[in-house]
Amino acid sequence: MSLNLNASPEDLKVFLEEAEELLQAVEEDLIRLEKGDQAEADGLINEIFRAAHTLKGSSATIGHQRMAELTHAMENVLDLLRKDELELTSQIIDVLLECLDLLRVMKDDIARDEDSGANHGPLLERLKEIAADAGRSLPGAPALAASGSAGQAAPAGAAAGLSEPERARLSEALARGERVRTVRIAFSDDCPMPAVRAFQAVVALEQFGEVIASLPSLDEIEREQVQGTVEITFIGPAPDEEVTSALAAIGDVTGVSLRAVTDAELAPAGTSAAATAQAGPQTAGNAAGEAVAGNDAGRAGGARGPGDGGAKATPSRSLASHTVRVDVRLLDNLMNLVGELVIDRTRLAQIIAQFEAKVGASDLTQELSRTSVHIGRVSADLQEEIMKARMLPVENLFKKFPRMVRDLALKAGKEIDFTMIGQETELDRSMIEEIGDPLMHLLRNAVDHGIEAPAERAAAAKPRSGRVTLSAAHEESHIIITVRDDGKGIDPEKIKAAAVRKGLINADAARRLSDREAINLIFAPGFSTAERVSEVSGRGVGMDVVRTNIERLSGSIEIETAVGVGTTFRLKLPLTLAIIKALLVNVGANIYCLPLSSVTETLHTHSSEVSTVKTREVIVNRGQVLPLVRLRRLFGEPEAERQEYIYIVVVLFDGEQVGLVVDSLIGEQEVVIKSLTKYIGDVPGLSGATILGDGRVGLIVDVPSLVQTATAAAAN
Amino acid sequence: MASAAVSAEDDLRLVVFRLADELYGLNIVNVESIGVLAPITRVPGTPSYISGIINLRGRVTPVVDLRRRLGLAEAPYTDETRIIVVEHEDEQIGLLVDAVSEVRTTAATEIEPPSALIADVGTQYIAGVVKAAGGLVIVLELAQVLRREARDRVKRERVS
Repeated sequence: MSLNLNASPEDLKVFLEEAEELLQAVEEDLIRLEKGDQAEADGLINEIFRAAHTLKGSSATIGHQRMAELTHAMENVLDLLRKDELELTSQIIDVLLECLDLLRVMKDDIARDEDSGANHGPLLERLKEIAADAGRSLPGAPALAASGSAGQAAPAGAAAGLSEPERARLSEALARGERVRTVRIAFSDDCPMPAVRAFQAVVALEQFGEVIASLPSLDEIEREQVQGTVEITFIGPAPDEEVTSALAAIGDVTGVSLRAVTDAELAPAGTSAAATAQAGPQTAGNAAGEAVAGNDAGRAGGARGPGDGGAKATPSRSLASHTVRVDVRLLDNLMNLVGELVIDRTRLAQIIAQFEAKVGASDLTQELSRTSVHIGRVSADLQEEIMKARMLPVENLFKKFPRMVRDLALKAGKEIDFTMIGQETELDRSMIEEIGDPLMHLLRNAVDHGIEAPAERAAAAKPRSGRVTLSAAHEESHIIITVRDDGKGIDPEKIKAAAVRKGLINADAARRLSDREAINLIFAPGFSTAERVSEVSGRGVGMDVVRTNIERLSGSIEIETAVGVGTTFRLKLPLTLAIIKALLVNVGANIYCLPLSSVTETLHTHSSEVSTVKTREVIVNRGQVLPLVRLRRLFGEPEAERQEYIYIVVVLFDGEQVGLVVDSLIGEQEVVIKSLTKYIGDVPGLSGATILGDGRVGLIVDVPSLVQTATAAAAN
Repeated sequence: MASAAVSAEDDLRLVVFRLADELYGLNIVNVESIGVLAPITRVPGTPSYISGIINLRGRVTPVVDLRRRLGLAEAPYTDETRIIVVEHEDEQIGLLVDAVSEVRTTAATEIEPPSALIADVGTQYIAGVVKAAGGLVIVLELAQVLRREARDRVKRERVS
């Protein structure tokens, strides 16, 4: 079922991007709030309130009723919290997080234009109960006072309900010859959410000018105190018809009438100075809130007026003027185009050489080659800049972890203090996508196996709550990511025992292992230290898969651990997946690229040195038996004629060396990794393709999978 | 699609090409470009109808040998061999054909359902047949031609 929203695809796109940003910000704020830093709490609640408010406005604008209702109810609770009329409890945070999850579902529904029937009823109820509790526990003196004063200050006619500063603003505007009008909007009797409609009207009017006041007041609209009509006074030159038709387009609007506000109406009324002083800042605060909502209602880009300063719902907003959103595909295309440029440059150099050989060197040919060299330099710079544009702070990945750790800790009955360091460290976006799963797994392990239960920690004279730290930092052309816990550590003896029990090694071999070797057993396929299978771990995916994935990215993983003190996993990864250094080799008609990170040496060996052990070809290299894999055979190329000497590239993976037999070596080169395309899909033994200097396509070898296949074959 | 009702009335433009002495057509809206044969890198472990991958303006692009895909006899490449680049699921894919002859405009209503007479090619690949001066043009159903059966692919184990 489609959602039938009242917005263009362009508007929806803007809405979705913004909604994701807001939801993420709210989630982060909620998690921080839960950690209970009192100094921060007020600021955080305010930020969450503003985000919910903005989302309410924009979801109402696109016509998503349920989303608007839910955010509105959240806003009510948050409003009570920020006015200290309600005390923050973990239940409230739980409910708010659940709201967030449901909002995500709704947002995803919008993205797919499908209605999964997300039901917000139960959450609305719970939010209402929470709000009602506030009334009970604190017999509502502030709330009552607020509505009371609003009642007094609201005689008929918007002009009469104006505060002193508002009157002054309007008088000034009239004196400058600007148009000041009050518009009266009537809603149908069965309008389910007049407040949301009134809010939409305010947003709509902000397109035409400056909204000065309304009756009910903006604050009352916020609190849903809207009956059948709303009157809004604004300054702006737009023709009546335009204003009327824009307002009439809002759902449930049954009537719109405009009238000019005259100077006579604005004569000072005898309001007390105290009341004026109160009303002033309040209205200003609201105007700031509305400006954001208006800004978010669909028109991306330019910040709007003075409201912006007060309304940083997300940190990124302040950077808005210096950044643009770019589709990733655009960057990929740019990268492709630069790749072409580089290839053409190579061709150009070849042509110049031929040309020179034909007509002889002259000023002209020299000028040509100088230009060609310059083009080469510019394209290299261009390539580098585009690579930089693809870099993202790891924050984009890290931001989902606090929530995950919180939920995991809750489920496992652990108390965990989770910190993240170096979120601003930049990494190619392709890499960020790839390391998410392995990191999630390591964090799960830390929570589930690393950190002890609170009682156990207390007994060991450690603080009840365990500490898990995720950090990122640059180190030369690598990024180092560590996952550290101060839990129970990994006991090599237990690992040995488990490995023997699982039949991975025999007891004799286990005894001979060093502690480090024993600990590295956790990376062995089929090994998992989980004593019991929990929802968190023990899902059949082990550390071996984590390691395989990291090594596939040309990275490495190390463990440091001490029993009773804790464990640190240290990941070392290249900054980008997009470019690697590779050794190019000929195999049959194809050129294959072997990532240099896994090549240990190359050999030129007499073919008589190859011997056969149990149908497997091996050579002895430096006193060690090196199994051989003939790439022609592996990749289905016709067998080569017997040659006196063979070329062998020795690759290392998981401590295992394998010799790859190739036709010939071409040389080392930096290659830009490209996918084998969706249509081709995953191919065993290959991790991608690249475009070579002569324009041909080379294939990139996936060394880990190749070695595993080869060693598995040897084991059988 | 909103335009479905209208397009029945509309003219259809077909890129007409030759394969084993028969004429075939593809709706021009699916066709991105037509190029000459480029060096193809065969990808090991893929079905034989996938000739391999080429560098199409800096982009790695798979190439499908249409003769093999449609189960026709194989033939060597000639000077006339062309790669028709089509758009499929947000990707570009090249189709190897014997020769490209023309772009022909025909009324959509002239397309007849495939009859059993065209035995050379499996009917699942055929959208319909157009009778024309030069003979029959078999209009291909691109989505079917480029559908990859699940068993074609090998899934890789990943951390989940």
